[in-house]
Amino acid sequence: MTPAFLLQTLASLVAIFLLVALAAWARIARPAPALDADTARALIAEEFPDHALGPVWVAGDGAAAIARSQDEALIVYRAGDGYVARSLPWSKLADGRASGGAVALKLGDVTAPRIRFSLAEGGAWPPPMGEAGR
Amino acid sequence: MTLDPVTLATPFFILAVILEIVLGKLGKARAHYEGRDTLVSLSLGLGSTLAGLLTAGVVFAATLWVYQHRLFTIPMSAWWAWAAIFVLEDLTYYWFHRLSHERRFWWASHVNHHSSQHYNLSTALRQTWTGGLNGSWLLWLPLAFLGFPPPMIAIEKSISLVYQFWIHTEAVRRLPGPLEAVFNTPSHHRVHHARNPRYLDSNYAGILIVWDRMFGTFVAEDEPPRYGIVKNLGDFNIVRAAFHEWASIGQDLWRARSPREAAGYLFGPPGWSPDGSRQTSTALKAAWARRRGGAVPPEPEHAALTPPGLNGKPRT
Ligand SMILES: [Zn+2]
Ligand SMILES: [Zn+2]
Repeated sequence: MTPAFLLQTLASLVAIFLLVALAAWARIARPAPALDADTARALIAEEFPDHALGPVWVAGDGAAAIARSQDEALIVYRAGDGYVARSLPWSKLADGRASGGAVALKLGDVTAPRIRFSLAEGGAWPPPMGEAGR
Repeated sequence: MTLDPVTLATPFFILAVILEIVLGKLGKARAHYEGRDTLVSLSLGLGSTLAGLLTAGVVFAATLWVYQHRLFTIPMSAWWAWAAIFVLEDLTYYWFHRLSHERRFWWASHVNHHSSQHYNLSTALRQTWTGGLNGSWLLWLPLAFLGFPPPMIAIEKSISLVYQFWIHTEAVRRLPGPLEAVFNTPSHHRVHHARNPRYLDSNYAGILIVWDRMFGTFVAEDEPPRYGIVKNLGDFNIVRAAFHEWASIGQDLWRARSPREAAGYLFGPPGWSPDGSRQTSTALKAAWARRRGGAVPPEPEHAALTPPGLNGKPRT
């Protein structure tokens, strides 16, 4: 731990802080508008191209969506200005805990441990089964 | 404080990131930045430098020891020696990079570099924290055994790293044809960072793209790349970004029911599973080829890296 090493590390930390501040200030993230029924379906179809999609439920805030495909729940949700996709057995949706107008759902994955799915006005959880994916 | 090419280039890296953000802001260049993504990328970069210091001594001592048993004595002052190490180091990098994608044990370190959904100059600095521990540095020892002085090897490795910085950008579309034919370019490396099935496991080049053309891993940029990994990270937790694949490997090993399964989880291709319930790059590419009604792309080179029973084909 020489003074030069400490100085170099400190300078790096300052540089990181300034660059992140600049990146945030610039507001040049990709546009990520709230999902609606069509955009959610298109996104899920792109992420799960070999699945036949049944009904799609969009979260109240448009930041997540779930599609039913046979007995699978195909889930997408926004992280930053990108999206993350995972699937769960449909029956696992019942494990979600609803509180404050949103459902916290464990995804059982080290890389994406949980999702917060905000419920639309009067929205039920889990989503009604309806018809299965074709 | 060392004055290697990477350290010397750091102020240039910072200025280039600032320039890319400003040009993006002004609408003069294609550049997308997201604050938390940038924070994770740059923090992984600094952490990688610090982690590298922990193993640098061992790596240099081993290189020096091999050099003491060298075949030839190659002078650092000769121009041909630099030309030779430029080509040989770049070939070494190609195979290191290919191993880092096609075998999960090494992917667990390299995935850090690919887990951003962005592709900008800050992505270039998003580097591994665990790369010094997985033994991949052994691949460079043959250069010392041939007789290249250890400092020369270290300098050439740094030159390669510095070269690879500037290609992490969407601001540059295509370079003139002859350059695209010979060198790794923003276009070629965008393909490498893409998660579109057709682009998986391609363009492993460091500086020269000719290796990919020679060994059959070259894919030209065609449809717009979607960046990131097959299963993108669910948040911006830096500890998760640095170690998630090691944690996943640990979980799989815990559940493994035989040494063969354990070996598959460790040294099989990423996405390997005993029952084929997960998807490897090969399976994802085959599914893509089936969807578009074409033939499944052959992968002759894959076989060379694949121990028996651990190939990436889906086991249906
Ligand atoms: Zn890579
Ligand atoms: Zn890269």
